[in-house]
Amino acid sequence: MIPALTREDLKIIGYNLSRISYLMGGILLLPIIVAVIYREIDTIPFFLIGASLAFILGSLLNHFLETKKEMELKHAVVMVAVGWLLAPVLASIPIWLSNATASYLHASFESLSGFTGTGLTVATDIDHLSHSINFLRHFLQFVGDGIGIIVVSLSILGKTKISSVLAFKGEAKELGIRPSIVRTSRIIIGIAITFLIVGTILFAAAGIKEGLNPGTAIFDGLNHSMTGYATGGFSTRSQNLLFYHSVWVEVAAIVTMIIGALNFNLHYAILGGKRKEILKNIEVRILFFSLLALGFLVSANLIFSNLYTSPDSLFRKGIFHVISGQTTTGFQTAPPQHFMLLWPAFSMIVISIAMILGGCANSTSGGIKMVRIGILFKSIVREVRQTLLPRSAVVRGTFHNIEDTLITDTMIKGAAVIAMGYIVLFTFGTMITVAHGYSVESSMFETSSALGNVGLSSGITSPSMPFVVEVTYMFLMWAGKLEIIAVLVLMGFIILGLRKGIKK
Amino acid sequence: MSWKVCFLVAILLLLIVPLARAESGQALIENSASFDGKTVTFTGEVIGVLMRDNYAWVNILDNEVAIGVWCSAEDARKVTVIGDYRHGGDTVEAIGTFRMADPEQGGDLDIRADNFTVVAVGQELSRSPSLPLVTFSVVLMIVAIFVAIFLRHIRKEKERIVPWPFH
Repeated sequence: MIPALTREDLKIIGYNLSRISYLMGGILLLPIIVAVIYREIDTIPFFLIGASLAFILGSLLNHFLETKKEMELKHAVVMVAVGWLLAPVLASIPIWLSNATASYLHASFESLSGFTGTGLTVATDIDHLSHSINFLRHFLQFVGDGIGIIVVSLSILGKTKISSVLAFKGEAKELGIRPSIVRTSRIIIGIAITFLIVGTILFAAAGIKEGLNPGTAIFDGLNHSMTGYATGGFSTRSQNLLFYHSVWVEVAAIVTMIIGALNFNLHYAILGGKRKEILKNIEVRILFFSLLALGFLVSANLIFSNLYTSPDSLFRKGIFHVISGQTTTGFQTAPPQHFMLLWPAFSMIVISIAMILGGCANSTSGGIKMVRIGILFKSIVREVRQTLLPRSAVVRGTFHNIEDTLITDTMIKGAAVIAMGYIVLFTFGTMITVAHGYSVESSMFETSSALGNVGLSSGITSPSMPFVVEVTYMFLMWAGKLEIIAVLVLMGFIILGLRKGIKK
Repeated sequence: MSWKVCFLVAILLLLIVPLARAESGQALIENSASFDGKTVTFTGEVIGVLMRDNYAWVNILDNEVAIGVWCSAEDARKVTVIGDYRHGGDTVEAIGTFRMADPEQGGDLDIRADNFTVVAVGQELSRSPSLPLVTFSVVLMIVAIFVAIFLRHIRKEKERIVPWPFH
């Protein structure tokens, strides 16, 4: 029987949330540097107010809920689920104050979309946003999804190692880079900063080559590198990457998107000299096979529909959007309305599938993840072989992901539960959207985008989107980021509290 | 005969006026297939200029919808103010062929301008800080620092007091 909740349970969660609150306060102060550089002094109060509220909340939680009791798995999972709501709520304050969005709900949507690395936007007049607010939007994706600030905040600010190990589990990330959680977090930050620099150089060089002035090219490059690595997809331009009309910018985007979609462990192995790992790794194999297969299907469909006919347009529109979708980034080189009104339904559905499949586990991408797809596929093969072989034969399945691993029933169950969860939420989101009068394929596309934390849009997500659809997508972005289980645990936690009460 | 001339002029005007009317960005994007390959007039604020040898991309914003206009570098040089946070960009009018997926530009949606005119020069936008907001933000930051120091002090005081009966 599950024991009733105690006040101590709530204190443990609240006390750990204080660290997230402190860290968000620090994060909200950073855009002030950008505001000073670009002389946008009028925007500084927005960040001061947001940071002050975060610090006050952090201090109050820290003082009144202080506890020395160790965190257990249930606390970690609930804390991470609530943390992924608290951090965007705090970050939405400057966005709302700056009038970057039309309402506080839109600001929360924008902030949650940023923090979860989704990239769907309801910001108004992006082309006239201040540099500091634009930096915040992109930085949220980098720290939220690129680095995984919730976990890092615990591992660096946390007093105990166990709390951060459990928080990793809550966020559905497995450990494995190094035995020490603090060292793992440092490596994740190191990898992120390395690729941030590489991406910024690539984007800035492409921008300068294609006619941007160096200052703009570097600012845009830094922001797109942050969102590309984080597989987030926010852009400093309302046209997204279509603004640049440049194959070089799109190539820079493809490089950063694929880097972001690969496993941190793989990055570490390759940077450590194990270069052959990239050829043997199950996730890399499935990811590239999937990109090739889905890219081929979309390209073929676009040729037959006579929408894009030249080879370069098939690459820049067809293949690019498949990569953007499957890596769950959301960079776009076509107007959103074109997906809804011009693209054939088949291509829309194929990209929707790519968005749900997602990138690699332990990466910045969302979706079901390649390793789970691999486990499920191999388990099907194992079942077929087991049926065909004599009863006495024992069939075992293995896969290579940094090291050779035997497929166990627990792994198959875990992968199947998460895949099923995604399918259930995808159906739920699609039905809600269709009920508001949108076509089935556009609804599938937009729902996959929100659930897979992608950001490609068919035009449904806009400042004028229906309230219910907006709230549904916010829920999907949050649940998709947490890979569903943490959301269910939080619901169970609340139900338990309501049914049995909270004991002293 | 004069009424016939007037009638013809009226018919001609009716034909010419719709041709000269600027299409909105929203209309062009949402009805791309019907505008594809046709000559359109598009007016809006310049939000970006990217020079490409003898040509240039000028991105024009019309009511939340931006479209890239492919024009000569000479035309693009007429633009003096580009829209951003501090500036309202030049208002320009581009007349040219609309392409929903230009095969010569990697499938980009664009307008190939035959005629490009600066209608109004852009200007600097006033972005002065709001005094009540500045005051509020400073007060709130002081409160945040005070709360943090005060609560830290209370905690330290608590730690110093050894509980009874071991006093």
